[in-house]
Amino acid sequence: MAEITWEKRQVTTERRGVSADRWKFVVGGVLMLAAVVYLIVAGTGAGARYFITIDDLLSNPEYIGQTVRITGAVDGDTIVYDAQNLIIDFTVANMPDSVEDLAVALHDAVNDPSASRLQVHIENQVKPDLLQHEAQAILTGTLGTDGTFHATELLLKCPSRYEESVPAQVEEGV
Amino acid sequence: MLAEIGVTTTFLAFVAALYALGASLWGARTRSEGTVLSARNAVFLAFALLLTACVVLMIALVREDYQISYVWSVSNPSMPLFFRITALWGSQAGSLLFWSFLLSAFAAGAVWLNWHNNRRLMPYVIAYTMATLAFFLFLSIFIENPFNRYWFVGTETLETALIPAGGVAPGDALLRDSANGLNPLLRHFGMAIHPPMLYLGFVGFLVPFAFAMAALASGDLSTNWIRASRRWALAAWLFLSLGLILGGRWAYDVLGWGGYWGWDPVENAAFLPWLMGTAFLHSVMIQEKRGMLKTWNMFLVIGTFSAVIFGTFATRSGLVESVHSFARSEIGFPMFAFWFGMTIVSVWLILWRRNRGELRDEHAFANIFSRESLFVLNNLVFGALFIAIFWGSFGAPIVSELFLNSNITLGTEYFQRVTPPLFAALFILMGIAPLSAWGATSLRRLGMSALVPLILAVASLIVFALMGMAEPIALIGYGIICFSGWVAIYETYRALMARVRQHGENPLQAFFALLQRNPRRYGGYLIHLGVTVIGLGALGSTLFQQETQQTMSVGQSMEIAGYTIRYDGFAPNQVAEDGRIMDIATLTVLRDGQELQTLRPRRDFFPNVEGMNSMTIAASRSTLQDDVYTILVDWEQTPSAQAATFKVYINPLVNLIWWGGFVLIAGTLAATWSGDTLPARSRKSLMVGATA
Repeated sequence: MAEITWEKRQVTTERRGVSADRWKFVVGGVLMLAAVVYLIVAGTGAGARYFITIDDLLSNPEYIGQTVRITGAVDGDTIVYDAQNLIIDFTVANMPDSVEDLAVALHDAVNDPSASRLQVHIENQVKPDLLQHEAQAILTGTLGTDGTFHATELLLKCPSRYEESVPAQVEEGV
Repeated sequence: MLAEIGVTTTFLAFVAALYALGASLWGARTRSEGTVLSARNAVFLAFALLLTACVVLMIALVREDYQISYVWSVSNPSMPLFFRITALWGSQAGSLLFWSFLLSAFAAGAVWLNWHNNRRLMPYVIAYTMATLAFFLFLSIFIENPFNRYWFVGTETLETALIPAGGVAPGDALLRDSANGLNPLLRHFGMAIHPPMLYLGFVGFLVPFAFAMAALASGDLSTNWIRASRRWALAAWLFLSLGLILGGRWAYDVLGWGGYWGWDPVENAAFLPWLMGTAFLHSVMIQEKRGMLKTWNMFLVIGTFSAVIFGTFATRSGLVESVHSFARSEIGFPMFAFWFGMTIVSVWLILWRRNRGELRDEHAFANIFSRESLFVLNNLVFGALFIAIFWGSFGAPIVSELFLNSNITLGTEYFQRVTPPLFAALFILMGIAPLSAWGATSLRRLGMSALVPLILAVASLIVFALMGMAEPIALIGYGIICFSGWVAIYETYRALMARVRQHGENPLQAFFALLQRNPRRYGGYLIHLGVTVIGLGALGSTLFQQETQQTMSVGQSMEIAGYTIRYDGFAPNQVAEDGRIMDIATLTVLRDGQELQTLRPRRDFFPNVEGMNSMTIAASRSTLQDDVYTILVDWEQTPSAQAATFKVYINPLVNLIWWGGFVLIAGTLAATWSGDTLPARSRKSLMVGATA
């Protein structure tokens, strides 16, 4: 009962003069919205990267010199690491656009002799623990006229990190 | 046997949740007290069953029951007990079960504590929480079952299944020898408690959401739902904040790139509910105090819950590319369907009540500098940050794929450009809003209240400038952050001195008395102070980070930011208790020729782990002023490693982030602890109503 009394009492303080400042709220709101839209649009222009496959990159010359994001399977045998100058060079193999099983797709890509390959060069980068054979590399950078991809950002994924698979040694032991 | 108990209890909990859902709705419809009571008991039963299921999985992990494929995939014989237990949430299937358990615990707690006070809301609170629980248990049972076991089916193939026809269990020894072990990156104290904190935060927001929806469904649209769920919302917010801070700490300690926040989609997915939840916690105060923003608050609480479910969906379904993302999983579509369904039903409920005129505000906004107007502005900035971060993490990639037939992602440049002005706006509002009054404030009065904190902020800037900080951007940033911090300190100080004068208390007594008398206000100031300290740390470590790398022979040194770092020696192939092999370098940090600390950056190798099996462990000298953060990059492959390469970061003020976290915890606990869950206005009118 007490609740109801209180609720009703408050309703009587109806909206006085429906706010003379209303236009200020409207103008303020519109200005804020415009500022936020501007921020997001300008930020999108600055930060947008086409996320493409290695095949796309190599078959479209207009991508040369443009900052793009690519993904590929790391060929472990090709990794060369200059620890003194923090320079890493390696090759990635093209991966299809969408994959069912990441581990299988990475394995297939690295072992497919006909898959396109791309030489990658990164400077000032400590070799990440995840940079190893059949890891998925997600790279941001530009393709130079020399055919080498000069990366500025390197993200790596190893499918075995999270996926539960059937114990390989057990299978071999059968 | 353990697997059978686990499967049975999980399934029974699923049945109990479905029963509670049906019985609560039926009981509410037919006004049958007995049926609602039965639904309540089913909520408690579901909690007990899930507690059993989690304990069983934990026992299986501790007893090394590798027949259970989850145990095989996240543990191995060399893992210490602590990580064996925390492996419960080390991978998808286990973490889903754990999530369901926490959800059932929150639901049972909310029902238990509110049963007598909020009886009218209870059936619908049960319905909403149990619908969510049933959904997560559906995922656990039918898609990601942590109790699946390995079986030989036929003669050759090894499969994971519950109990296949004609399956033969493989030998223990075979499985034990090949067990995976927890991903080395996750073997860190921060990572052991970061996921449960995040889950507690995520799941905790289910309670205010369920109460809000119960208010809409039952028609009790008073502030009952807000009062009943306030502490839950604060607790959820605290856990989510801690989860985010601990996640940052883990990244800083383990990932070895000298940073703690990378604007990765998975990080952002946890940040989005925090932004929406923070907006909700502020906005809901306006409804309590002034009876305004009723519809808006409903949308915020739905938004927070939606962000939780969407974030979980986005990070576990392979929707976006992320360094953290879990494997692509079958749970993507059902989660999206659930999220969509819940949002549609909730929005429909709001619109229905609104059309009936039941969500009408009791006051209109009268003054642009009133506290409620500034709170709304704060909400809008939180909303803008939410939209900007959502767009950058998920919106742009999804829209470009759906409509532009291309895949566009937004890099860190986007976030670095878009978020700073919005954060600055938030800090300004955090300073000004507490100085304004409910109803109306004149600009002149507001200016007078802000005068002292402004002078203090300018004085702080002069000190910074004298210390050598010359960058205008940094000075503006620090000025804004300091202003909001000084407001919190000065306002608390004023009230404290008033108490000292009036009651003759000593300052400490007066401080605790203030917290007890008005926990929201002074707990809130403490939280603001915590956020200020975090802001100072984030700005300092972002703008003034320095790095260098160098190859040194034993005895040689390098210089950075006034520090000298000397390479003293190398200890290869050290075997740790859990079987990892460590290569450890010894560095000494000196300043002005004086030895400050010995650091041991190292590289660990995990011989039994498939896939990623090595890990770089940074070592740092931490002070409030800065961190000297060192990484062992490479070394000469001789036993004494005469030459080794190191990368060194100087991260100024980074420790303020973690210390600010402690202040934030203290503030939230203070704001939550007191028995004062009713605002003064409603207490007074309750008394008036009672005497009338």
